[in-house]
This record gives sequence, structure tokens and C-alpha cells, in this order.
Amino acid sequence: MSRVVGWKEGTMETGLIALVMVLAIIPSFHLSAQDIERGKAVYEKWCTGCHGDTGAGDGDAAAYMLPRPRDFRRAVYQIRTTASGELPTDDDIRHVVDQGMPGTAMTGWKSRLTSGDRDAVIAYIKSFSRFFDGAPPQSVDFPSAPRISDDGIAEGARIYGELECFKCHGDRGRGDGTSAPTMSDDWDFPIRPTDLTRPWTFNGGAEVEDIYRAIRTGLDGTPMPSFSDVIDAEIITDEQLWRVAQYVHSLAPGRPRVREVIRAGRTARVPDDPTDSAWVEAEAFYVPLVGQIIVSPRWFTPAVDGIWVRALHDGERLALHIAWSDPSASPDPLWQEWIELLATTVTDADGALEPVQGPDRFTIQFPARLSDGMARPYFLGGDRRRPAYTWRWRSSPDQLEVGTSTGLGQFVAGAGAASDVAHQAVFADGQWQLQVTRTLIPRDTSAAPTFAEGVAIPIAFRAADGSSGETHVRGSVSAWYAIYLDAPISATVFVMPVVATLVTAGFGLLVVWRAQRREGTRRFLPEATCDIFSSSRCSDSWHAAAAKLAHRPATRMLVPLSSRSAAPRSPA
Amino acid sequence: MPKLREILGHPFWQAVALLVAAYLLFKWGIAVLPPLVGFPSAPVPQSVVLQYMLTALVGILIYVSYNEARWRRFKEPINATLVDANKRWLRATLLVLVPALVGFVAYDQSRPKVSAPLQLRSIHPAPPGQITVRGRTIRLAGLENPLRSRGTIEEHSREGRRVYYQNCLPCHGDLLDGKGHFAHGFSPTPLAFDDAGTIAQLTESFVFWRIAKGGPGLPREGAPWNSAMPAWEDFLTEDEIWSVIIFLYEQSGWEPRRWEVEERAEGAGHE
Repeated sequence: MSRVVGWKEGTMETGLIALVMVLAIIPSFHLSAQDIERGKAVYEKWCTGCHGDTGAGDGDAAAYMLPRPRDFRRAVYQIRTTASGELPTDDDIRHVVDQGMPGTAMTGWKSRLTSGDRDAVIAYIKSFSRFFDGAPPQSVDFPSAPRISDDGIAEGARIYGELECFKCHGDRGRGDGTSAPTMSDDWDFPIRPTDLTRPWTFNGGAEVEDIYRAIRTGLDGTPMPSFSDVIDAEIITDEQLWRVAQYVHSLAPGRPRVREVIRAGRTARVPDDPTDSAWVEAEAFYVPLVGQIIVSPRWFTPAVDGIWVRALHDGERLALHIAWSDPSASPDPLWQEWIELLATTVTDADGALEPVQGPDRFTIQFPARLSDGMARPYFLGGDRRRPAYTWRWRSSPDQLEVGTSTGLGQFVAGAGAASDVAHQAVFADGQWQLQVTRTLIPRDTSAAPTFAEGVAIPIAFRAADGSSGETHVRGSVSAWYAIYLDAPISATVFVMPVVATLVTAGFGLLVVWRAQRREGTRRFLPEATCDIFSSSRCSDSWHAAAAKLAHRPATRMLVPLSSRSAAPRSPA
Repeated sequence: MPKLREILGHPFWQAVALLVAAYLLFKWGIAVLPPLVGFPSAPVPQSVVLQYMLTALVGILIYVSYNEARWRRFKEPINATLVDANKRWLRATLLVLVPALVGFVAYDQSRPKVSAPLQLRSIHPAPPGQITVRGRTIRLAGLENPLRSRGTIEEHSREGRRVYYQNCLPCHGDLLDGKGHFAHGFSPTPLAFDDAGTIAQLTESFVFWRIAKGGPGLPREGAPWNSAMPAWEDFLTEDEIWSVIIFLYEQSGWEPRRWEVEERAEGAGHE
């Protein structure tokens, strides 16, 4: 608009300059007013709820999310193939619109919007910022990736240290570096360094190429810098940057498959503590956790969004091993700044977050009664009709309470002897490992459930990060899962198939034998056996017999079609 | 070609072909073919496929045995396999493979299997005659959305959009497909409103009941202990619930089911 005003007020020269500028800008739009209208309609129907009417990232849902929705007015974009500080290309924006941003609330739109609608809405999104009026941005040329090798990954680990990635992402990549508590983005919202062991939450995707792109061009608007200048300064080579990407990619498996049943394998003796090597070999089950948004006060920005569960039993005791990423053993004075920033960011719809750190917490629940048919306690802490048998652990002071719960935060200690249940928790490298052990049969069977082998027992989990102000209610929760204690395999499992095989084989032989006897060929079992398993030695006599058969008049029996055709060549 | 004709004319191979065709039809045909001409269909459960196959088998046996000659020709290849010298390897193979297969099935049946406890639930359980929301008793039968008779739909839809994005989005999602960013954490997964089988089949009063009372308000057959749907009367006013219902229908493009139609179809079923 300012250019148009200048033309009105100014001389002929400025008018001409303005006209030339406007003409220069127009081709870069590639857009008609119709496209803008279409993009606006799509945007207003599907995008305003988060990104706001004016593209300021202040829609109705904005305060209920962390990270916040993008503010399009500043044209600062995380996921780009262009250099740091540059605008994204249309393809970069399309990538995010199509695929969404893992680890955030941004969903992929490919299934909902037509290609034309997506083009139009991308054009409309760009119209929120004048920065896009200039020449289209250019992608950085990425050299191709070197082949992945063990040496290359070791090299990547070394460069990870040299570039000091650990300062934010931590020594083991769990996002627990020393700078982690002080991080905020360009909008002064708190932001966590990415937990590199959880690739399914990488905003730009989890392929090696996606990781390389993030390191090479940076995630603009966040504290993640571009490392292009380190290459330009010849501190590291491009290949070495690829090695870092490959190393990061090697830190974790792909998105884990969520299984409803957690298997407790049978072992000679359950381990005594969570760092025991037996746990490394035990099968790990991923359980996703999400914010508790069901009872007040709800919690839309959970710190723990998934746990790894392992289970073993020895016929006497059941041991559970839970591992989850958490950058701090709460409360931790270093994280006070973080919780204060968080308290001013998240919604206060159900009351403001108090910037006071509590302990980290973990809760495991089972139905108090397992003989209730299909019915279970309410998954969220049980209910009055069907209470939940509950183990509540807290980090500070390190303590595990055993009790009965009739709802979230409605906990009464004392379901049988607390001494039935032993626990040990270890915090290291941005990870909690908690082992909880109980005898399969509790001391007081009327107060606590018995864990029987060979049946699926409902189990659910909840977690809370004290440094994010989380509590028993504000935290993350799981649905009901089940735990299955492997039973010794009974002999029938092996006997039944053998019996079935033998009976069927015997029946088959009988049928063959009877059919052949009915043919009147006086071939009894020994010969039949010879027939079935013969080498060429006995086959001669059989060919002869078959030939004879074929030429006999078919009075009482039929000559099979196929034996007729086989007959002529048999005497040879 | 004569060879092929001989095979096609042979009752045994006809029976085999019919059995295979029947299986394909029951297993996939019933699910796939009617939608091609616009009729809705669904996959047939395995146990029903088995029943259909038994019926088909009886029919095929009648077909191959309706006269003596055909029945004899039908048995020829079977008999040949049992006695013929040049079928010795086929015979031996069958005598090994069939018992082995039976043994494997027996093992598969008897080995301990790890499966989650069965959870049956009714997705649209019958609503109660009346509910009490925030101390006010509301009769559900014949209840219409009161917002439709005052103000404008645009106005209510805008308010409903705010309610939806601040409350419903994490589970039911931007796309109304039940795949919000928290949806994967719950079981059963949140309802998809873009699906033809959810709000498109329901009256607004039913949707109002489900929103106001949530999972804890479900009857037993709805497995209330698993549902993550909050009882929204604790968070939202009646008008906010009615406005989000208008938003759901506006955004998804479905029309709510009307009471006139409902009552004609089901009589006094909702009393």
C-alpha cells in the first residue's frame, strides 16, 4: 500500500518507479484474485482455529498447544531447504501442509484438501507477509549422502561432541543438555530441545535427509542454528555433517508399534534393580501417553508423551521396568526459569499453572478386582464402584505408595501390606528407570489382586514432570493396556499336534490301502508302503501292475483316466 | 485347447472351480462387488464364510452326483490319486502334507495365545429418556437444537468453532477424522465426524446427550470405563454445547437426523 500512496503523492518519476516495482512484483505472485479468494476460503474454514484470522498464530486453540501455531506475519519458517534467515520455497511450505509436523498439533492435509486447494491456501498464507513479495527464494544445494557405516556413525558421534550438540540435546540425545532449561523461541515461548531418541516427534521428519536438512539450514525461529557457516569456515566438511545426521538417526528405532498386551516373560529370577542387564534383553513395549484433558484441571501440554515398559516374572514375583525421557530429576532449581515461562504461556482455562516445581511422579494401576467380567474401573484412576489398585511413585522424596484409587487424585493408601511392593528408581542422562516388584500372590488376597499366569490383566500408566508443574491430575495418561504373564507351556501343546498328525496319516494310509484293495490288485500294506515311498526299484513292478490293470476289462471297477494314458509307456 | 475343454467338462474340476469361486465370492466378493454398483456392504466374518462354504459344498456334491455316470467320473481323479502307479508321488506328497497341515492347525489351536481381554461395546447405545444437565432436567425425545430458532447459523458456528478448537481438537482433530494429536493415546479412539456412520446418523439431541454426559454417562453396554470422552457439562454451558453441535454439522457438511423421520421409523421407541 505504501508504494501506491507514494505514486499518488509524488512526481512523475516516483510514479514510474513505483509502477516498475509493482510490475516486477506481480509475476512473482503467479496468482489471480480468484486464487486468493479460494485460498482465503480454505484458510478460514480449516486454519483459523489455530493460526488465527490474521495469520498471527493466535487462533482459539493457540494457547492450548506447545509449540504454538506458526505466526505467518513474520514469515519465519522452521522447515526449509533454503539458507537460515531466508524464506521457504513453496515446496517447503507444501511439504509441511501435506505431511503435517510430527511432534506438534499440525496435521497433514493431503487427505482432506485437493491439490488446488492446498496451492491456493499456500499462496494465501504467503500473503500475510510482505517478505514474499520479492524474488522467490532458492534452495541450498545439498550434496548427496555418504553411505552409512559403523565408522561413519562413530565419526558422527565425534562431530556431535565437537559441535557441542550435547549442550542442548544432551550426551545421550534425550534433550537434557545444560542449556535445555533456558530455551525459548523467537516469540518468547518456552521450547524443549528435541529428544533425539524419539524420532517420531521430529518436526521436519525423521529420515536421515530430514535430519541433515534441519542441521544444515537450521530451524528458524527456534534456538536450533544452521551449521552451514561451520562448513563454510571449513571447520567440518559437508560429509561430516551427514555423519552427524546418520548418528542422530541411529539413536533410536523408527516409530514403535503400539501393542495392547505387554508380555511378562518367564525368567529364573527377576532382576533386583532397574539397571540390571537382564532388562536390556527383555522385550520392550512402547505405551503412548497423552495429556490428561478429561477432568479439571486439564493439561494440554504434557511433558512425558510415551514410556517403554518391560516385564519379567519368575513364578513368584512380577517385576515391571518403566523407562521414560525426562530432562530433569524434579524439583531442580535450574528449571525454575522454565516453569515460570511455561506458567505464562499455557492456557489458564482450568486455572493458572502455579510456577512451583513438585517431584516427578509415576503411577501404575490395575483393577482392584480382576473377577469383574468385562467391566473395569474407569481408566482414569478408577471409580467408586470399581476402584483401581494403584502404585504411586514420587521422585522426591523417593517413595512408592500402595493404595486404592476411586478417581484421579482420589487415593487412599493401604491396599494390603505396602511391604509387598518393592521399588527402585534411577535417574541418568535425561531418563528415569523405575523398577517395581511384587509377589504374584499378595499377602492379603482380599485387599490386592493376585497376578495369575496365562491371563491378560488390565494395566494403565500415568506420568508427571514436576519441573513442568505437573501433578497427579495435570499430567499425562494412558488408556487401559494389558499385561500377560507367560505360563509354563503345558504338555498338550506338543502332544496334540503329534496325535493329530499320526491319526490323519493313519487314516490316509487306510483310505489308500482300501482303495487299492478294492481294485482287486492284491496289493497290501507292504507293497502300498513300497509304492508310496519307493525308489525306482519298486516302481518297475508298479508300472507293470498298472499296465495289467489298464488292460483288464472294467467290470467291477473303473479304470482311471490317467492310468489309461500312462499305460502305453509303462512296459518300456 | 481340447485338454482345457476336457478339464472344464470334467465334474471333478468343475467342483473344484466352483468351490474356489464360492470361496472368493464369500470372502471378498460380497464386500467388494455391491459397492461398485452403489450398495453398501461389509466383509463376511470367517465363521459365516465357513457356514456358506458348507452349504456350497453340499450343493456342489448334489450337482456332481445327480446321475450315476457323472458321479463315477467325478470320483475318477480321486480314485486315480489313491491307486494309480504314476500318481505315486502325488499320493506320497498328499500323505505327508495333509497330516502335517492338520498337525500345524492342531498346534496353532492349542498353543497359548496372548490376546487382550475382549471388550465389546455398543457405539450408539440407546439414549435415556431424559437427562439432568447442570441441575436442569432435559427431555431428549423430540428435542431440537434451540439455537436453530434464534440468531444466525454463522454466529453459532463461529462460537462452536471456538468451543471445538479449545476443547475437542486434541482428540477429534482438525479434519474431524478422530485423529487429533492426542487421539492415539486413547482406546477406543475418538469418533470421526467425517464418517457417514457417526453424527450423520444421529439427531442433535443424541449428540447433545453424548457431549453433556461423555464417557462416564454411557450405559454399561457402552463400556464407560474405557471412554476418554469427558462429561462436558463440567466445562461447557448448554448453549456452548448446542453451538459446537452446529459447528460439527456445518464443518463436516452432514445434516442431523430429524425427529419426524425418526419417530415415523421407530414409533415410540425413544420414550
